[in-house]
Amino acid sequence: MLRLENIVAGYGRTRILHGVSLTVPTGGLVALLGGNGTGKSTTLKATVGLVDVQEGTVELNGEVINDVPAERRSALGLSMVPQGKEVFAAMSVEENLLMGAYHRRSDRAGIAHDLEAVYIRFKRLRERRKVNAGMLSGGERQMLSIGRSLMARPSVLLLDEPSAALAPRIVEEIAEAILGLRDLGLTLLLVEQNVGMALDIADHIYVIRGGRIAYEREVGDGVAMEELQEFYLGGSEH
Amino acid sequence: MDLFLQYVANGVVTGSTYVLVAVGLTLIFGILGVVNFAHGEFYMIGGYVGILAITVLKLPVFAAIAVVLLAAAVIGLLAEAILHKPLKSHDATNSIISSFGLAVALQNAALVVMGPQPQRLNLDVSKIPILASIPTDFGPVFLPQQRTLIPLTMVILIGVLYVILKYTWTGRSLRAMAQHPTVARLCGVRIQSVAVVTFMVGAGLAGIAGMLMSSIFFVYPVVGNMIALKAFTVVILGGMGNVAGAAVAGLLLGITESLTSAYLANGMRDIVGFVIVILMLLFRPQGLFGKVAERS
Repeated sequence: MLRLENIVAGYGRTRILHGVSLTVPTGGLVALLGGNGTGKSTTLKATVGLVDVQEGTVELNGEVINDVPAERRSALGLSMVPQGKEVFAAMSVEENLLMGAYHRRSDRAGIAHDLEAVYIRFKRLRERRKVNAGMLSGGERQMLSIGRSLMARPSVLLLDEPSAALAPRIVEEIAEAILGLRDLGLTLLLVEQNVGMALDIADHIYVIRGGRIAYEREVGDGVAMEELQEFYLGGSEH
Repeated sequence: MDLFLQYVANGVVTGSTYVLVAVGLTLIFGILGVVNFAHGEFYMIGGYVGILAITVLKLPVFAAIAVVLLAAAVIGLLAEAILHKPLKSHDATNSIISSFGLAVALQNAALVVMGPQPQRLNLDVSKIPILASIPTDFGPVFLPQQRTLIPLTMVILIGVLYVILKYTWTGRSLRAMAQHPTVARLCGVRIQSVAVVTFMVGAGLAGIAGMLMSSIFFVYPVVGNMIALKAFTVVILGGMGNVAGAAVAGLLLGITESLTSAYLANGMRDIVGFVIVILMLLFRPQGLFGKVAERS
């Protein structure tokens, strides 16, 4: 389970988040929606430790992890697929995947097993395993980025706009891949601008605006597109 | 023609030194973004420690190499603690200026400890069994063993470095940090460990170069100034942060200098590299093997 409690965070003296609270229950798929510059990505960065949390707590599986440096959080089971399909462009697909398992590099058998599991999940990565990641298409990079996170054996996975700048057909593939991750039992927090995709797959949504959670609903609870659009276009806060 | 080959061979010897110094410099820049003007001092310290280990401590040559590596690694550790650790979240200019300061401090420390007189390592390689078996005549080319030892050591060390970078977890973490520091952190790579390893490797390579060259050229407190400038030339020619590029460009610079000195004028020797670097920066700033920058 992942719980953020009144997170205040930002860059230097600039505060981006003004008290964000949200909970992702174990095995749940929660989407955090919002427009540009509302604090979506900063929320994820604060969760993994890339941005300093000035106030509030980040709790992972019942433990407060505020003081754990970013590079140790993947070993605790917290992993993030960053925005922009970030990969190590001059390293091969396989090397990229191996880097995901860096924190448990002595576990050779486990790594070989997980590598095979990623190749079964994303068949195109197996075909292109010797190719430099910089040569991959946008969709393939996104799969590689997700595969690399899976190699860390996370319990909680954060995905930062996985559908951004991808063709609709590829977005569908990515959405299916994310549902597949939920079937694995992973706890997922998805940050998206693509409201349609988020509503299709998430079971709970939060909407962030101006660094605060402005709206929250169970998806099965009658979340209507119009109601959400009202928030994007600056309607009243709930 | 015979002399031409001899000049090329001489160029390969000096070029190998440039490779050893420049590869460390380009690693430190490529992985940590630190432009280290104290890199020539790693070379100088390697030269002095080699002389002390062999003439004062009377160590056999291979033990002396180990001592040089150890001393250079310690200096690398110190340099990291000064140039990178406290400055990594600041603008890069800070570490550049600090590296000038460190260079001056190390030069003056050498002046106090070793004195101003140039010194040379009197190493008769022909008395060391393994090294004595290295031939001195290669067709029309004559190279004394202590000269052949330099490209030989360079090839071995760069080969080992290549294998480490390509096939080990440490190597992968170094390359990952160079390509995408944020994602590398998310994967669990500690920037501090990478920084220490990078500085130690860079200083070790330059230190070995300094020791090997001290049996051919004099060592003095500011000997590192020119070698650092040469290494920067090589790094720019090879493409900033590009290890393979630095290896090729180092050899090319050595050969170009040797041929210039033979066929044009000895005084042109040190000028030619800088002229090439100016032309390179004007017409192909990414270097011979660099790609147009795409840094995250």
